[in-house]
Amino acid sequence: MDDLLQHFTVEARELVQQATDDLLALEREPAIAAHLDGAFRAVHTLKGSVGLFDFAPMGLALHAAEDLLGALKGAEARIDSDVIDILLECIGQAERWVGAIEQTGQLPPDAGEEGYRLARALRSQLDEGAAQAAPMIPEADVGWIDDLLAAGTDRADLKAHNTGLVAIRYTPRADCFFAGDDPLALLRSVPDLVAVRMTNREPWPPAAEIDPFSCNLRIEALSCAEFDAVKTVFRFVPDQVTIHQVARRDTAGIHGAGSDGSPGRETSAVGAASSRMLRVDAARIDRLADLVGEMVVAKNALAHLAALSGEGMDRKDLVQGILASQAAIDRLVADMHRAVMDVRMMPMRDIFRRFPRAVRDTAGHLGKLIDFSMEGEDVEADKSVVEGLFEPLLHVLRNAVAHGAEPENIRLEAGKSTGTRIVLRARRDSDRIIVEVSDDGRGIDPASIRRAAQERGVAPGDRVERMSDAEAMELIFAPGFSTASEITDLSGRGVGMDAVRSAIERLGGQVGVQSLLGRGTTIRFSLPLTIVMTKVMAVRVGGETYGIPIDGVLETAFVAASRILPIQEGEAFVLRDRTLPLVRLADLLGISRIADPGRGAKVLIMSAGDERVGVAVDGFAERMDVLMRPMAGILAGMPGVMGTTLLGDGSVLMILDIPELIG
Amino acid sequence: MSARLDGNIILLEGQCRVEDAEPLLGWLQADSSRVVDLTDAEHLHAAVFQILMALRPPIREGEKDAFVHDWLIPILRVARSSDTG
Repeated sequence: MDDLLQHFTVEARELVQQATDDLLALEREPAIAAHLDGAFRAVHTLKGSVGLFDFAPMGLALHAAEDLLGALKGAEARIDSDVIDILLECIGQAERWVGAIEQTGQLPPDAGEEGYRLARALRSQLDEGAAQAAPMIPEADVGWIDDLLAAGTDRADLKAHNTGLVAIRYTPRADCFFAGDDPLALLRSVPDLVAVRMTNREPWPPAAEIDPFSCNLRIEALSCAEFDAVKTVFRFVPDQVTIHQVARRDTAGIHGAGSDGSPGRETSAVGAASSRMLRVDAARIDRLADLVGEMVVAKNALAHLAALSGEGMDRKDLVQGILASQAAIDRLVADMHRAVMDVRMMPMRDIFRRFPRAVRDTAGHLGKLIDFSMEGEDVEADKSVVEGLFEPLLHVLRNAVAHGAEPENIRLEAGKSTGTRIVLRARRDSDRIIVEVSDDGRGIDPASIRRAAQERGVAPGDRVERMSDAEAMELIFAPGFSTASEITDLSGRGVGMDAVRSAIERLGGQVGVQSLLGRGTTIRFSLPLTIVMTKVMAVRVGGETYGIPIDGVLETAFVAASRILPIQEGEAFVLRDRTLPLVRLADLLGISRIADPGRGAKVLIMSAGDERVGVAVDGFAERMDVLMRPMAGILAGMPGVMGTTLLGDGSVLMILDIPELIG
Repeated sequence: MSARLDGNIILLEGQCRVEDAEPLLGWLQADSSRVVDLTDAEHLHAAVFQILMALRPPIREGEKDAFVHDWLIPILRVARSSDTG
């Protein structure tokens, strides 16, 4: 992807977010002009950047959104939830398009149709609003169609087609020539024309003052082609054209206005973009640059030392010098590591700001009244932690709306406010961050959790009975607890709270739940600020895969069978004039070895203490960065295993401690 | 060049593009009695066409292109007749 496009996607995402934020604020506080101005500016800027590329359908939809927002600003249209809905729909679509552009560099193939539909839906709001705000303008001025019909009836082909006609009124924008439009070329491509009329929109100025580049035409035409065929011609100028299906000898039956149903709004589709760019505070980059400068100084000092050592420097001084140099470099490397980690820190805001929209959609879908607020958007954590929180939090928030919020009458009886309060909160707690979703809804009944846990066989009955209420509550995170029957289309894609838990654990975090029946529920995530990644190399042995920390691996080699020499009980081989012992990982692990094909061995050369040793494996797999979790519980004492990690496919990779295995 | 001046006749030939609008306007502003010859015109850009609509010069009609002949010239004819009549 070229730089410009990459920059565009980053900026577009921010503008989309800005527009969404402002629109949601506008819905809450329609009287505040700043929200409207903000949304207008964001959409206007986004439309402008879209114009730099060949994304016409996206520009079209955004242009219509901008016009609608402009009309709202000019009080020519009224702000109501329909208007906000269609604007949000347009912005949501724009966001999905940005995602597609990011991945493929272009809009998806259906974008033309979708952009056209959105633009029409937005324009129809505009017309509606205009009609409401200024009723003196006759809205359905279809007299021109009658005139055209009268003019066209003398044409023979009109009589031949008595199926129906399409009436077109095309008023090109005054600046359309600059956009490369030729309205007459469009008119020419309308199939099966039967009548054309052209007038000037404004009176012609005196000959001396005519501006040849300002379009002053209004084109009206009749065609006996299919409605869709005509619509296609004007697909890039839907804001400048009205197309009506005219039943034969009748001006009624206006076709195609308004939006047709709401398409699946899936906000989470925008959640996991593959490789996002990182925006970094300039001060952090400056800090890194400073550190690199110091690193250069340290390197020069080392070079100086090397030169001196060649000149027969005193051995003691040399050792001193090397130690000092090493200490300096050590400190710098540690500082740089921290600085780089800082660069990766991002505020919660980047994901939090997507939630108001998601909560609003879910609440709207389920007909619940929700009073949603957020705290701690400024709390920072590692990029991977923050981004990894999006899906689980979305799930928990949707759960709070779907299951936590009670009907309004029940809330009123209980003396609560009508709208269920849901608070999303992040805070720093020493070296961890705590993220909570609290609601003041119906709460969880431990008795029904116990019952469900037993029915679903999540835990044995006697154990469930002995659990405290708090422990029983934790069962909601157990695998198999959420059943398909209680998963609505909104609160998940067939995943339950166990998926939330494993997502959080993959980030090195823990989940917890607190709930009081009738008072509300809090789901709490506790996560590390940063994820310490271990580089491991996966190896295959006897059909299984194990991880080996790459730190200890010096190199990999293939040793031909002829170079492997039996020595007493063991084996050895020669590598670059050194004899190294060879151990077979299968033997170390006590796995039956795949029959030796006699074609040599794949060997990891590792350091074990001061020695080097070759470790034979069946195959090398990929290298990866993993979050290693130390062994806990009864496995803690298991020798030779440093820890485990969850792989992307949910399987567990054991990470081996080879020196310990060799013993 | 799809627009050129030949004596007192403005010839619009082939595909007339948006760039032809400005010279056309200049020629007609200079002398409104000039005749515009559309005999060989295959397409008129809207910018060109609206100048003919606005200034209503005498037109020499042609049949080279069906769209120009069937739809555009009749409009100019009507414009001119309403002017003279």
